Amino acid sequence: MTGRTYEQSKPLMTPAQTAALDAQRRRARLGHNLRRGSIYALAVLLAIWILLPIWLITTMAFSTPTDVRAFPKHFFPIPFSTQTLDFFLNTQGILNSTLNSLVVALLALVISTVLAIPAGYAIARYLFPGRDAIRLGILSVRAFPIVVLAVPLAVVFIRLGMFDKVHSLAMMHAALTLPTTILVVASVFTSVPREFEEAAQIFGCTRMQAFWRVVLPLAVPGIAAAAILTFVLSWNEVFAAILLTISNRTLPAQILYTLDKSGDPFKFAGGFFMLVPSLIFIFFIRRYLFNMWGQITK
Amino acid sequence: MKKFPVTPYLLLLPSMIYLVLFFAYPMVQSLQLALRREGQFLHLRAEPAPEAAPVGTLEMQTEVRVLDRLRTEEVLPNGRTRPIYWFQVEAEDAAGSTIQGWVSQSNVFIESRTESTTARVVSGETTQEWTLDFLRRMVTDFRFGSALGTTILLIALILPLQFVLAIIMALVLQSQIRGSTIFLYIFTLPLGISDLASGILWYSIFTQRGFLNSFLVSTGLLDQPFIFIQAGNQGWMIAAIVLAEVWRATSIVMVIVVSGLQAISRDVIEAGEVFGANLWQRLRYIILPMLKPSLQVALILRTILAFQVFAVVVALTGGNVITVLANETYRWYDPARFNNPNVAASYAGFIMLLSLGISMFYLRAVRSQEEAEKAL
Repeated sequence: MTGRTYEQSKPLMTPAQTAALDAQRRRARLGHNLRRGSIYALAVLLAIWILLPIWLITTMAFSTPTDVRAFPKHFFPIPFSTQTLDFFLNTQGILNSTLNSLVVALLALVISTVLAIPAGYAIARYLFPGRDAIRLGILSVRAFPIVVLAVPLAVVFIRLGMFDKVHSLAMMHAALTLPTTILVVASVFTSVPREFEEAAQIFGCTRMQAFWRVVLPLAVPGIAAAAILTFVLSWNEVFAAILLTISNRTLPAQILYTLDKSGDPFKFAGGFFMLVPSLIFIFFIRRYLFNMWGQITK
Repeated sequence: MKKFPVTPYLLLLPSMIYLVLFFAYPMVQSLQLALRREGQFLHLRAEPAPEAAPVGTLEMQTEVRVLDRLRTEEVLPNGRTRPIYWFQVEAEDAAGSTIQGWVSQSNVFIESRTESTTARVVSGETTQEWTLDFLRRMVTDFRFGSALGTTILLIALILPLQFVLAIIMALVLQSQIRGSTIFLYIFTLPLGISDLASGILWYSIFTQRGFLNSFLVSTGLLDQPFIFIQAGNQGWMIAAIVLAEVWRATSIVMVIVVSGLQAISRDVIEAGEVFGANLWQRLRYIILPMLKPSLQVALILRTILAFQVFAVVVALTGGNVITVLANETYRWYDPARFNNPNVAASYAGFIMLLSLGISMFYLRAVRSQEEAEKAL
């Protein structure tokens, strides 16, 4: 509409000029659509790049063991079968190690969340000498190499009689995610307006009550996201797990340890089985991913 | 004067103690393991008495000649006595010189205390000493060079691909096409996927009876399946690892880049458009320079993680023909294989040094560039 009024306000244009202008505008729109289209094509292509391997392993997990070994392989799980997954789940040690993985991940989640909530609150709400130094320190150990910690910790754990225990591994996983969890929790607390807390205190709450009744409930979704991230990391972590446990292996450690002795159906079903919880959890925390990794040392 | 705030420190204290326990303490332990050796040495004494002055040291298992023996008696708590022999022995020490001195029977293995003329040193005092032996053993191991080389090669191949792909993904998301939330979810999916799972996924593609061969043979591009993963095909093995890592770990870079992009004001980019900058010019002169802090963080994070690449390599190639630093750390530690935590700790320390060094390098490189720009 606006375009037409603009045209009408210029009565001096000859019909030829108007036609030329129209053509130019059409070209511009075509160019715009083309660009949109190519961005769309690119997005779809990238999505296929991500999804294709996941689809392939899913196909394998739901094919019969015979089809898994067959060549050439099918692109669709036809005939559909849960035999391969059944076989994997009934392999000795898998159920046990899955249980271990769950216990380790849940323990790690609890430890790191319980420690991170007060620390995150302190960083979000208080100004104190050394605050920036502590924040920077936490940021820098966020990427601390697991490989470097696992060997000495294994030796220390052996000395303390804590080797090959599920809770020792959980403590280590909690340590690995604690820095990230503190930073996320701090940013979540920062996003809760301070006025809410002050209002609660005006209405007679102590600082502690204001925290419990006002701030914490508002921060729960963000804290849950950080906790889920801890769970996923622990569920996925394999290097420390294989060093720190022998008879109480977690699922990835068990799969890695038996990898060279096992056939393709076991491997593919195992790959799929490890994948599923992560995919679900990432869906729930996708909004918070930028909170977690977007923070930059500045 | 303002009261010194105690509360925040109290709130932070548990976390700080925990982090020190699990980061600082193991680091010290790691150094101990890599650089200190527990050794046993036997001191020969000038007189047949434990307090006598030492006249030389012998290593464990040294054969000694018995020159003389002395029978002493020890009184037990119940009042009885038992004989204790001291031997005057002669032996060659570690440096090759012959030394003489007295040892107690408790430190040597001897057939007969009264008759044998030779004995063997079996115990002594435990000492700790600085040593470079474990480091030397790591460096001279024939797999060290290949592990270091492969790790660096992987970083050199993976990181550029990852950053280009991550920036493309971020720009696609940023262009706000319809359904971009779905694309965001899909692009971030690999964040939750472990390196082991990713290795298995790509193994299903590259294995002899895998999807790639299925595709190539069914479309007639190949007559027979090609064995990508085998000892002679190191190029293909590296390619498979690179693809698996680019597939899995690009998401983290993308998330950091997207957060960086969101921080750039749209006005700046639109101003570029108004002045007629094309996509490449906007990228080169506006977006990338403003993304520099984010890219720096992503680069440090990814490099440190890349030095630890492990399960992908093992899942895809078995970890024998192709090896990386983290795999060597595991092999040296593994009780079923080398069972040598000291050399494993040396590897761990080496990885730590590399990670630290590269982080410092990135930080300095970026800063000095900024200073140079300011000076201009």
